[in-house]
Amino acid sequence: MNNSDKPIANPIVVLREEFDDWAVLFNPDTADAVGTNPVGVAVWKRMDGRRSLGDIVSEIKASFTDTPDAAFEEIASFVNTLAEKGFVGLEADRKAANA
Amino acid sequence: MSRPSALNAQTTGANQMPALGTLYFYLTEGCNLACRHCWMGPRFDPAGNRYPMLPVELFETAIREAKPLGLYCVKLTGGEPMLHPRFTRLLEIVRRAELRLTIETNGLLCTPEIAAEIAKSPNRFVAVSIDGKDAATHEWVRGVPGSFDAAQQAVRNLVATDTRPQVICTLMRHNVGQVEAMVRMVEELGAQSIKFNMVQPTARGEDLHETNETLTIAELIALGRHVEEDLAPKAKIKALIDYPRAFRSLGGIARGDGCGSCGIFNVLGVIADGHYALCGIGQQVPELIFGEVGKDRMEAVWRDNAILKSLREGLPSRLEGVCGRCLMKEGCLGQCVAQNYYRKGSLLAPNWFCEQAENKGLFPASRLVGGPGSSRNGAMESAAAES
Repeated sequence: MNNSDKPIANPIVVLREEFDDWAVLFNPDTADAVGTNPVGVAVWKRMDGRRSLGDIVSEIKASFTDTPDAAFEEIASFVNTLAEKGFVGLEADRKAANA
Repeated sequence: MSRPSALNAQTTGANQMPALGTLYFYLTEGCNLACRHCWMGPRFDPAGNRYPMLPVELFETAIREAKPLGLYCVKLTGGEPMLHPRFTRLLEIVRRAELRLTIETNGLLCTPEIAAEIAKSPNRFVAVSIDGKDAATHEWVRGVPGSFDAAQQAVRNLVATDTRPQVICTLMRHNVGQVEAMVRMVEELGAQSIKFNMVQPTARGEDLHETNETLTIAELIALGRHVEEDLAPKAKIKALIDYPRAFRSLGGIARGDGCGSCGIFNVLGVIADGHYALCGIGQQVPELIFGEVGKDRMEAVWRDNAILKSLREGLPSRLEGVCGRCLMKEGCLGQCVAQNYYRKGSLLAPNWFCEQAENKGLFPASRLVGGPGSSRNGAMESAAAES
């Protein structure tokens, strides 16, 4: 995942927010689920295929206090993990799929 | 930013034989207390001379045979483990085998000398049961006068020898008003943590449930939230509550608080009469006894026992009822297979707490396969609303 890549959340996947601002991401097609913390929730909500990964990281840094120096790497890792599970694709993937 | 944690990732292959990491030794059939809620129901034996104790030779044999299977830890429990007449010899065997030592005790016999023996194990964990902030409450639960002072002194003796124990408190109607006071008391005693347990509806605990001395599911869920969200962040010690994962906050699970799952894939019980068993439940349910230490090779029992094999094949994919539809089932495994079997006669039965919560509409929908947005339509509606 590069700075200019534009991740897009799989629209099938459901974000189930919980009482403590953590959330469950649930794929009803596969019954696969992952839990994520409030930062992950904020990242998820921004993966609209229009924002680049760099844009998302900038917005997260502006929204949360005490973001670590390695925020880009950590968020990229988070998005990559979701991509491996089919929860996230890239804007380019969607264009290719529509072609 | 943490990596997402898989809630239902596959952890154990159906045909693999997992490591036997821990042996639970139920050293005594008797106990020097008579607790109202005990899920084992040992017979009252104040001097520890009436009922069978696990022979030292069988203890050694079990450890020797388990080490090649991956053994790294033993838990000494009971009844009351310190009633065993050769308890310090057992500690020595554990040390020589270089195993992690875990002890669950009521503390009555945990003298400064015993505490010093325990402290010789470099890798150790001790839990002492205290069920109230005062003698009247604790001894109402535990049935023996003087047991409150003794349990407190046990904690002090352990702390004095650099073993900061966990205090375990089982919550019921009689002591539920003392949760905050218990945390303060345990802080002052110098223990490392407090864990609140629920009364399990097994053996004497079943009687407590039937007489409504236990808390309702709604009360337990609210109490769990209170401990996780309000008490734990402010406490000077770690404050935990042991209830099913589906009800625990994801943050708490991510912190690795370590409660709310069944260790059945990596645990084998050895009960006081020298038999292998699923765990201590073998003393209540004979069909969960698997063979005899010293006669049946542990490797064969661990590999071939039909019940263990069926658990490895069936858990968690064939869990029944609400547990089968729960997103947490991979990590939870029904929370306690022994309890579930005791209640329903099925190794794959759902957990009583989760089942009751679902029946009352209190099971968290976000943790169910059939929860919000589970159909494709639901998911698409949700996505549309976001955009």
